[in-house]
Amino acid sequence: MAEARTEPRRPLPEITELTAPFWQAAKEGRLVMQRCRACGELTWCPRPSCVECGGEDLEWDQLSGRGTVYTFTVIRQLAGRGARAFEKDIPYVIAWVDLEEGPRFYTNIVGCPVDDVEIGMKVEVVFDPVSDDISLPKFKPRS
Amino acid sequence: MSIRGSTAIIGIGETPVDRLGRRPGERRRTIPEYLTWAARLAMEDAGLTRKDFDGQGLAAIYTTNYLQPFWPEETASILGITPALSMANANGGAATVSALGQAAAAIQAGLVERVLCVAASCTFVENHNGAEPRDVRDFEVPYGLMGANSGIALVMRRHMHEYGTTLDALGNIAVTARYHASLNPNAYLKKPMTLEDYKTSRLVADPVRLLDCVMPANGGKAFILTSAERAADMPRKPVYLMGFGEQDNPSYGPRTHSDATIMGIRDAGARAFAMAGVTADDMDFAQLYDDYVVIEMMQMEDLGFCEKGDTKYFESTDFSFKGTLPIQTGGGMINCGQPSTCGGMIHILESVTQLRGDGDDRQVAGARTGLCTGLGGLPYGKNLGSTAVAILSNDNG
Ligand SMILES: [Zn+2]
Repeated sequence: MAEARTEPRRPLPEITELTAPFWQAAKEGRLVMQRCRACGELTWCPRPSCVECGGEDLEWDQLSGRGTVYTFTVIRQLAGRGARAFEKDIPYVIAWVDLEEGPRFYTNIVGCPVDDVEIGMKVEVVFDPVSDDISLPKFKPRS
Repeated sequence: MSIRGSTAIIGIGETPVDRLGRRPGERRRTIPEYLTWAARLAMEDAGLTRKDFDGQGLAAIYTTNYLQPFWPEETASILGITPALSMANANGGAATVSALGQAAAAIQAGLVERVLCVAASCTFVENHNGAEPRDVRDFEVPYGLMGANSGIALVMRRHMHEYGTTLDALGNIAVTARYHASLNPNAYLKKPMTLEDYKTSRLVADPVRLLDCVMPANGGKAFILTSAERAADMPRKPVYLMGFGEQDNPSYGPRTHSDATIMGIRDAGARAFAMAGVTADDMDFAQLYDDYVVIEMMQMEDLGFCEKGDTKYFESTDFSFKGTLPIQTGGGMINCGQPSTCGGMIHILESVTQLRGDGDDRQVAGARTGLCTGLGGLPYGKNLGSTAVAILSNDNG
């Protein structure tokens, strides 16, 4: 039984009440995370309470958008049916960027050849508008 | 009150694995068929029947391929048994080892006399049901996540960066496991493999290579646990649970950016060793959860078989069944196939096989005590999120 080969749609995040402020800020070109008013630590991914102290009084705080590549992978082959939407991007880089303010952020490194990416590379945020509502924070080498 | 030595595995069952269902219309079995088959094999091995599991314990392992919230009840219904205690183990590849510890506690507490733990999965045919953690769905998938390959690749590159991990070190582990698979009639990948084969295998999510990865498969597995007293009257040689430890959602450093090269197995293992009253040096073998080769290496470091990042140890140690630290003596999950979350049980079953002395061509001479591990999940920004260690022995003294 032949399956119609349609262009697979890119998976997008679901905007929830909890995550809406993050996506709204990203749409406006700002990277924000929840900061705990009790202990001052940042929490990421979005949570109802601080993952360090349990405080429930959190405010969205704007970050510098600067960070360092903690580690990365170059995707060279499709794995799993759900990932077909990214086939035409191969090779591409997925990285964990450790932000200046602390938290680790899962992202793509863009704006340079995949072979130029290395651990320790200084990077800064750029926003990729993938839909009307969603701009994905990605990172490029810092000039 | 410790569970040390108070329970024993008295039956194991393992269906053959297959990869049917990859092609449309291909004849294949269903999850209920594998469940039934694996449970029957374990009951036959233990000299028990379904009737012996009415009013007893059932540990049902959730599979990513068939998620529904009433799975333990459905499992009991499929098997035609009426449990007096249902356990629902959902921590991925750690679930079966986790279930072993929890079942032992339930038996020692007197809730039930025996527990059947059964797992099955059909990776190629059942829907994944979109059952992803929200962090993954919202903050990883939109960036082109490539299954577990991309997550492990991130951990692996950091490990290589910090410790100068070599392909020779990783390759020694991979080649040894394949050698053991060639001696195991139930293994799937048995063709001999060289170090060169490993080092030149195709990059899928750089630095992860094809020969680093476990292979999805279909199959079912089961074990039966009872009290040490009852085990003494059973037909098969009892294999006692001497130590158990679990560590979930581990963090080494701040929770938002923990050290990704340390695994929760470090604390799970320390608890298991302390309970059993042994150390890594006392292990006659280690059956390590093996979704990827580098994860086996990191577990050996964190369990204390060597220092963190001791590349020379990994390059020069004989890990074969005749060596100084036999690992993956049946070939491991990488060579026997991974039926989703059921795959991790292979390490319990191989441990029992060795401790019964049934390892035939791959038997570790005089094996008395060994460990097996389970790992599950890949949470945001970390390595594996659920970890469990069991120490098993054929002597509960
Ligand atoms: Zn706090």
